[in-house]
Amino acid sequence: MRLIIREDPDAASAYIAKYIIDRIKAFAPTPEHPFVLGLPTGSSPVKIYKILVEKYKAGEISFENVVTFNMDEYIGIPREHPESYHTFMYKHFFSHVNVHPRNIHILNGNAPDLEAECVAYEASIKAHGGIDLFLGGIGPDGHIAFNEPGSSLASRTRVKTLAYDTILANSRFFGNDLEKVPKMALTVGVQTVLEAREVVIIITGAHKALALQRCIEGGVNHMWTLSSLQLHPHPMIVVDEDATLELQVKTVKYFKSIEKVASSQGFEQILPSTVRTGPRKEPVEPVPEAKEEPSILSPQPVTSTLLAAPATEYPVRSHTPELVPDRMGSRITAY
Amino acid sequence: MPSAIAASPRDRITKFTNCRLVKGDVLVEQDLWVSSATGRIVRSQELFYGAKAVPDETIDLGGRIISPGLIDVQMNGAFGFNFSQIPEDPLTYEKTLRQVNKSLVQTGVTSYLPTITSERREVYHYALPFLGPSKGSQVAEHGAESLGAHVEGPFLSPTKNGVHKVQNLITAHSFADLEDCYGASNLNPTPDPLTGIPRAPQIKMLTAAPELGSMTALIPDLTARGIVYSMGHTEASYEEASLAVSHGCTMITHLFNAMRPLHHRNPGVFGVLGRAESLPRPYFGIIADGIHLHPTSVKIAFNAHPDGFILVTDAMHLVGLPDGVYAWTNGEQIVKRGAKLVLQGAEDTIAGSSITLVECVNNFLCWSGASIPQALRAVTATPAAMLGLQGVKGSLESDADADLCVFSEEVGEAGGTRLVVDQVWKFGTKVFDRLE
Repeated sequence: MRLIIREDPDAASAYIAKYIIDRIKAFAPTPEHPFVLGLPTGSSPVKIYKILVEKYKAGEISFENVVTFNMDEYIGIPREHPESYHTFMYKHFFSHVNVHPRNIHILNGNAPDLEAECVAYEASIKAHGGIDLFLGGIGPDGHIAFNEPGSSLASRTRVKTLAYDTILANSRFFGNDLEKVPKMALTVGVQTVLEAREVVIIITGAHKALALQRCIEGGVNHMWTLSSLQLHPHPMIVVDEDATLELQVKTVKYFKSIEKVASSQGFEQILPSTVRTGPRKEPVEPVPEAKEEPSILSPQPVTSTLLAAPATEYPVRSHTPELVPDRMGSRITAY
Repeated sequence: MPSAIAASPRDRITKFTNCRLVKGDVLVEQDLWVSSATGRIVRSQELFYGAKAVPDETIDLGGRIISPGLIDVQMNGAFGFNFSQIPEDPLTYEKTLRQVNKSLVQTGVTSYLPTITSERREVYHYALPFLGPSKGSQVAEHGAESLGAHVEGPFLSPTKNGVHKVQNLITAHSFADLEDCYGASNLNPTPDPLTGIPRAPQIKMLTAAPELGSMTALIPDLTARGIVYSMGHTEASYEEASLAVSHGCTMITHLFNAMRPLHHRNPGVFGVLGRAESLPRPYFGIIADGIHLHPTSVKIAFNAHPDGFILVTDAMHLVGLPDGVYAWTNGEQIVKRGAKLVLQGAEDTIAGSSITLVECVNNFLCWSGASIPQALRAVTATPAAMLGLQGVKGSLESDADADLCVFSEEVGEAGGTRLVVDQVWKFGTKVFDRLE
């Protein structure tokens, strides 16, 4: 885990923006070998987008060969709705830079078959060779994307019902009318995020201090879905001073010293050199293994998969089996 | 036949960036996409995600202002051409009109109401068919576009005639009198010969004195045909003006000029801008040329009803010509001295102006302390709304016609801001660039 602490949200955002730009540049993406970037919406990343746009306009970075995947989208509001995440991304980022619309992937909350949309999204990520860098933010309850507290840490892209807290919080964008707030969303799963080669999270503000504390100092817990990041081989969390309010002084000092020592020794806290510089090999088409669906007779512990992260393949999200009522009599051994 | 091979319309999407858009009373930093194929402002987000389209060209305006193209609802002529004067060779009328449209667009005026003063009926019958709305033919190269003719007279008060010839002034008692004067085909919607869909009449706006004959009672007949009734050149009292408003009058032609002045015991036409009555307040035209009105009068009118404030030029065909004596209709002479135009022999009578619309905007900016978007609204969104064209003209919202002006700001002589027309776009195609 890398925890980067900066004075204020501006400095934290600037750090991440610079980091993303450096990563894309080092990657030297080409049309055949694009950089795959996962993107969030919300208030915390707005400043990051602003800096990225500035740097693009200053000619310091091009997004021509960048493929993007967004985290989530509401279900049932029009794509051009002012609060849709399509609109957010267009307004804050896509309309200002040269990401080609062909390279943009955002879940379609109006798809006729939402389940199929989710499966296709996962397949599309896989077909692009996986996500190189997933940028994210969190909610005050530690949720990443729309993976609300209690979401499975092995979850994949799926339909998600929003927590009441989230609906309440979002009602301010919908004229304070709870009826108008979408109750469901499509979101990437925790596992989808963890599969990215790198995950970068921005957390700013005192109201998120408790979430940061739970996710770093607490154990892996599905009530704070970001805590799953502890299982990722290469996560980075960038925070401002306010967000560290709930952390132990020891924790803060430790992470600050890591950064200080690393820079004094002349190496930055970035990815291992092979990942950083080596041209990515041809993405290997994963051979779908015939995996048995976990059942009540042969349960499959989720942690076994989690601990093996980054796993390269996972079963496509299992559908809830149809309820087929049987006769009670059939369960009783006849004497 | 070479003419049969139509040049394929270039479906070109242009994106303006690093610019400030005039939206309402504020300048918004936002990109703008226009299409030369549809001639409209593009719903860019929809096109981006839906058709996965990117602009063919991106223009960095370096922080300059984009405004909707300017609209002049009262313009008697320009560049030596008088809409009310039938040339000796009548066949040249249409040809000259085309030239005027091409020149006019370079001043930032992308659409206008060509205005005919009080004339004999033959003039209306001859000229109006040329001056009607352009009926959806979106050709950027044609330049400024007529939104329909404005007939200022001849149903005017003989005592408030201004430079209109008193002999030509008449009184209407029935709609047939109007049809006789202007020609029925110019007043009524006519079915399109090809599609059969009714087309708007040639006349879009009619200025008349409401107190004369049955004019007030005829207002609903006009508005039912999509014609804006505007009161002007009138002796109307406050009560008569209010009655006209209650009958559907939605506009006042050059407020203060050619009407009774504001009197504290009878506020006259100006009184209908007060909020006392339960009537809607009409729009009103203001000539901000520094000659027709004192700057303070302009400011008072603006503050009385900012949402109805429309700047007009009332420009004569002498715009851009040197000082001297020029022929006026009916054999009279007009004297041009700088921007001032007076009738020869009656030199205290103002005979229209020779000012461009952007100069009116700059005057208003200088006098009133209004913001740039407020001043531009008076020549874009407000006249469009008055004509019932909100969202089509005078707007930078998606699906509006892509008629645009790019302005840069200069510091004027008095230290205030002056707008300079840098570029003009008509239906998504650039038709003027100051720097080229």
